[in-house]
Amino acid sequence: MSYAYFFGCVIPSRYPGIEYAVRWVMGPEGLKLDVSDIEEFSCCPVPGIFYSTDRDTWLALAARNLCLAQKNKSEIVTVCNGCFSSLLKATEYLSEPKVMGQTNKVLSKIGMKYTGIPERVEGSNRRVFRPVSVRHFVGIVHTDETMKALSESIKRPLKNIKVAVHYGCHYLRPTENTAIDDPNDPIKVDDIVKILGAESIEYDDKLACCGAGGGVRSHIVELANALTEDKFKNISNENADVIVTPCPFCLLQFDTAQKSFTKRGIPVVHVAQLMAIAMGADLSKLGLELHNVSCNPLLAKIGVTEVSR
Amino acid sequence: MGEVEKVFISGLREKLIEDKVITEQDLVPEFASEIIRYGGKDVMTCLQCGNCTGVCPISLKIEYKTRTTIKYCQFGMKSHTLSTRWVCATCYRCYEHCPADLNPAELMIALRHIAVREGIVPPFVKTAASNLLRYGLTVKPDEAMLKEREQLGLPQAAITKPGWERVKKDINTIIETTKYDRLLGITNKEEGE
Repeated sequence: MSYAYFFGCVIPSRYPGIEYAVRWVMGPEGLKLDVSDIEEFSCCPVPGIFYSTDRDTWLALAARNLCLAQKNKSEIVTVCNGCFSSLLKATEYLSEPKVMGQTNKVLSKIGMKYTGIPERVEGSNRRVFRPVSVRHFVGIVHTDETMKALSESIKRPLKNIKVAVHYGCHYLRPTENTAIDDPNDPIKVDDIVKILGAESIEYDDKLACCGAGGGVRSHIVELANALTEDKFKNISNENADVIVTPCPFCLLQFDTAQKSFTKRGIPVVHVAQLMAIAMGADLSKLGLELHNVSCNPLLAKIGVTEVSR
Repeated sequence: MGEVEKVFISGLREKLIEDKVITEQDLVPEFASEIIRYGGKDVMTCLQCGNCTGVCPISLKIEYKTRTTIKYCQFGMKSHTLSTRWVCATCYRCYEHCPADLNPAELMIALRHIAVREGIVPPFVKTAASNLLRYGLTVKPDEAMLKEREQLGLPQAAITKPGWERVKKDINTIIETTKYDRLLGITNKEEGE
């Protein structure tokens, strides 16, 4: 099965370095997976805006993306918790025949139809339709095979680096939709961090929300920042060197909120960027200098020269 | 925290203190069924145990309590609850911890559906939705970012390619078909056009 990249909105327009890191990690220089681009992919769309205000519109827009993957017969690789939960929830909704019919009525206006990917049942003429599979980047990396390949491709082991992992809500919950990790004791990002040679630290309230989701950041930024501050205090109490998250929106919140309550920031990177650093990617291409909190102390501790342009 | 509290209190608490006595005229008996129609199907089955408030990160910070909001919905206090709609971070902790397996987060989302239909649309919702209509993305990469992409050696952004016109057209068609543009009062025209 081939994969199709789904970068969404935040990554291409705020942190293009994450896009480079994901392409590099999954591509021929990294894990050598079969991934392609579908250029017509648009917004997932944002659950905090569209799912919150009109489910029918949200579902039709999400189904449009699913139809494109269906045509290409590929699995969708999401790199953002928001895109992941939005598209996955859409496949769940579309498993109801009535809902699928209503959505297809809207999609017929643009000449699309969501059915799922047809598959022939072995030994008979019957066909079954399998829902389009929506995967999270972390879920794809965290398999025995790729983890082995990953451990063999470490060029810059992250020795003595203390990593605070932040999973983000929509990676874990609601469990009936996501279920790629244990919602009360998730391990996948921690495992990846450990394979890279770093130490994944424990801190209080590790699974707490960053505060940005559901439109809170856009609506009352002070409230979102207050939640981030709580989490940041717990992280800095453990003297973390870097905050690692699988979600660019949590990353955006941690990266921008820090200046409102602290002078001594902790750098925040996406798990794909951390992997790319350890696997020996070109550091000047990871977009680290675009982050608000400087990543140079982290790079210095890893023992590589600082990024400057 | 002071400012946040002010923002919120003006919404719910002050109103409650002002009208200490809630008369029958203030109640909307069909409010619960309206919530159920928009996906908050668990509103009447809540047992009021309070687990949801205990795990809610927002309830820790401001005068918004998940359990109380559900109780108000059960009573039919429509005007009081509609002010709480945009503070839920949809982290689904309440859902994970509910002993009766109810989904308070979906109830908050139903409240947003109702609020938008009552004409209460926060500006950021309009901005994001009209961005999608105009550019085909809710966050549009600016010129500097497009240049940055080029420097990183990333493939040309799809939004700058001629094929994107078709994507924009399809998105517009979907939104016109579901009448979402009329619901929010947005157009695909740039301001001043």
